[in-house]
Amino acid sequence: MITPVMIDSTIKVLIDLILATAAIIIVKRDMLSLISTYSVQSFLLFSMALVLYAENGSTMLLYLAVLTLVSKVIVIPKVMEKVQKKLNIKRDVEFHYLSPTSALFTSMFIILVVHLLLSRILAELQLSNMFFLGATVGISLMFMGMIIIFSRKQTITNIVGYLTMENGVLLFSLFLTELPMIIEVLIIVDLVMLTLMATILAFGINATIDEFHARLNPFIKISESKLFGVKQNTCGAESRASPAGKAVPNMQKFGGDMK
Amino acid sequence: MIMQLYAGIGLAILVLILSARSHKTMNALSKIHAAAYLLITIYALMYTALPSYYLADRYFFMDHLGAFEVIISALLFFLSAVYSKGYVEGLMKIGELDRGNLKLFYTAFNLLLIAVTYSFLSNNLALFWIFAELTTVFSAMLVVTLNAKKNIGAALKYLFMASTSMLFSFVGLIFLFTLTGHALGAGTLNWDILMSNAAQLSPKILFAAFIFMFIGFAAKSGVAPFHGWLPTVYAKAPSAISAILSGSVSTVGLYGIIRAYAIVHQTSASYSASLLLMAFGFFSVAVAAFSMLAQINLKKLIAFSSIENTGLMLIGTGIGTPIAIFWMLFHMLAHALTKALLFFSGGVMHRQYGSMHIDRIKNALKLQPLASLGIIIGCAAIIGMPPFAIFLSKLYILLQAGMFSNWMLFGLLLLLLVAAGAFAMYLTRMFSQTGDDIEGAHVENYTPSRGMNASIIVLIALIFVLGVFFPQYLTDLLNSIVSELGL
Repeated sequence: MITPVMIDSTIKVLIDLILATAAIIIVKRDMLSLISTYSVQSFLLFSMALVLYAENGSTMLLYLAVLTLVSKVIVIPKVMEKVQKKLNIKRDVEFHYLSPTSALFTSMFIILVVHLLLSRILAELQLSNMFFLGATVGISLMFMGMIIIFSRKQTITNIVGYLTMENGVLLFSLFLTELPMIIEVLIIVDLVMLTLMATILAFGINATIDEFHARLNPFIKISESKLFGVKQNTCGAESRASPAGKAVPNMQKFGGDMK
Repeated sequence: MIMQLYAGIGLAILVLILSARSHKTMNALSKIHAAAYLLITIYALMYTALPSYYLADRYFFMDHLGAFEVIISALLFFLSAVYSKGYVEGLMKIGELDRGNLKLFYTAFNLLLIAVTYSFLSNNLALFWIFAELTTVFSAMLVVTLNAKKNIGAALKYLFMASTSMLFSFVGLIFLFTLTGHALGAGTLNWDILMSNAAQLSPKILFAAFIFMFIGFAAKSGVAPFHGWLPTVYAKAPSAISAILSGSVSTVGLYGIIRAYAIVHQTSASYSASLLLMAFGFFSVAVAAFSMLAQINLKKLIAFSSIENTGLMLIGTGIGTPIAIFWMLFHMLAHALTKALLFFSGGVMHRQYGSMHIDRIKNALKLQPLASLGIIIGCAAIIGMPPFAIFLSKLYILLQAGMFSNWMLFGLLLLLLVAAGAFAMYLTRMFSQTGDDIEGAHVENYTPSRGMNASIIVLIALIFVLGVFFPQYLTDLLNSIVSELGL
């Protein structure tokens, strides 16, 4: 039988693991493993929703879990991997403002500060320990995501940072089971749209303008295969005629950091 | 009923645009869309009892503030659609916009109108948050339809800054929800319930929630120091879109701040919230005023002036007296119209010279008399010269600021002087540059379409009329907004 104590300790373990994934994202340089770490983090969030469901049986948590699984564990990482492979940037080696080590120390400091502040602000509400833990880690995760956005140069890494922030907010809101279902769903749909838009833009930064518009624009009759299938191995190939029919200089096809 | 009407019309228009073939049809549909929203809202305002609530959970509502904002937005979208006809055609002719992206442009344009409208009509703050996020997505989409790589970077910057900050707003909403759950038994984010029960909420936690909400909404409306995206995006976006972004989309953030402030105002945390708003407002005015001095690109100059005006409106909100709020609301309207005039006229200049760079603009008065007039009047109006609309609102907001603190008034006057100086410098240079264009690239005269000229003329007339004639129903409308906000 599942006892409340077991559930509580499982939640604690999951929260620790989520923090660990955020730390890994802060220090990792390899782009593909950044994305898969994010996927793991989302999976932990999914498990968290399931555990919380086991605890209080709110069906909304179940829906949220499914949504998280579909959008954040499967769809978003898949799309990002696809774009990342297309961009042909393997590693994000540049850091500004903060080196990975100091970013980690800053994160630890932030967690401490968030904990202190929240315990002051929320003291009068007498919240459950679990909610409080969720709030602390959720908000800390947001700041860790921000650190990633500030300290990295590659757009894809920045998106992973943004997604980490998002996971922080979702982690926080998982403990709020009363939030109306429809709103929770809309929020997730919203965040997915934002992420996809950002991913397409990230693709655009390193692609030619026509390739970008073909990705962005569902009305241009250009098949996926033309962009992602046939063109897969055109790195270094000569410039190709654009969908509009005019020649485009083969600019920045290799991606790389152009900033 | 009205709420479904907006959605129904919006969807119908979208479907028609998707099946439309010519630019003319898509443009006409966009005009119809905006005009319909404008008429529906005016009808609701005049013939129905407001506030009215919609859906079982009262997720949507229309009160006077919402109606006022929708009217401003719908009017701007309508004028922008009128302007776009010739402007977008011109963009396609010189290859800045591909014909293939035309449908995307108009789809995003109309989606943006729907998202903006619904954000103003959301009673539930989480729904408001969702629609505000959507406005970011659609605005970014509009910015990147142009054939310029730099636009992608600008849109990405916008997306990142606005949406990461909006996540903080969401944390604020969660705080609010938890707080109401404890104080009222059931958590809620419905603005009307929050307003009527604000007195029972803990001021300390409410203020913490307010700070979080403020971060996101401030970034959405370009308040310094969250304004980094704004000048780039306004400068890179097509002029027709810059006008909407400045007058309508960035007001979404300000609107959120006003709603949140109205709740906090009911509690003892009101004073701290006021100080916070005024501090950020003042900082925005200062940052904008000094940045304006250095601008050589007309659109960037106008963009920084938007930050300055947002700061001023933030100060008006922070002062929080009924008079200040009244004139802050009027300023919102006047600013939206004046900015649209400036961006529309600037757009004509951009077509004439192929750039907004000061060195390129020569013989402007001779080549583009109407657009020059638009820019001169727009600049005079935006710095607060009578007899234009902004004069009134700036005057009263400054007077109210003086009642709050003389030092703030002195500071503001100095900063506004700097901003006015920046405009004066730019205008003097822009219109005194004559002589032959040595490159000879853009000497042939660009003829703006009738729609472009018409929207510029209408805007000049509007800001002039609003400046000399204050209709009674506008006074009534603004007064009912102030009383509904409980200020």
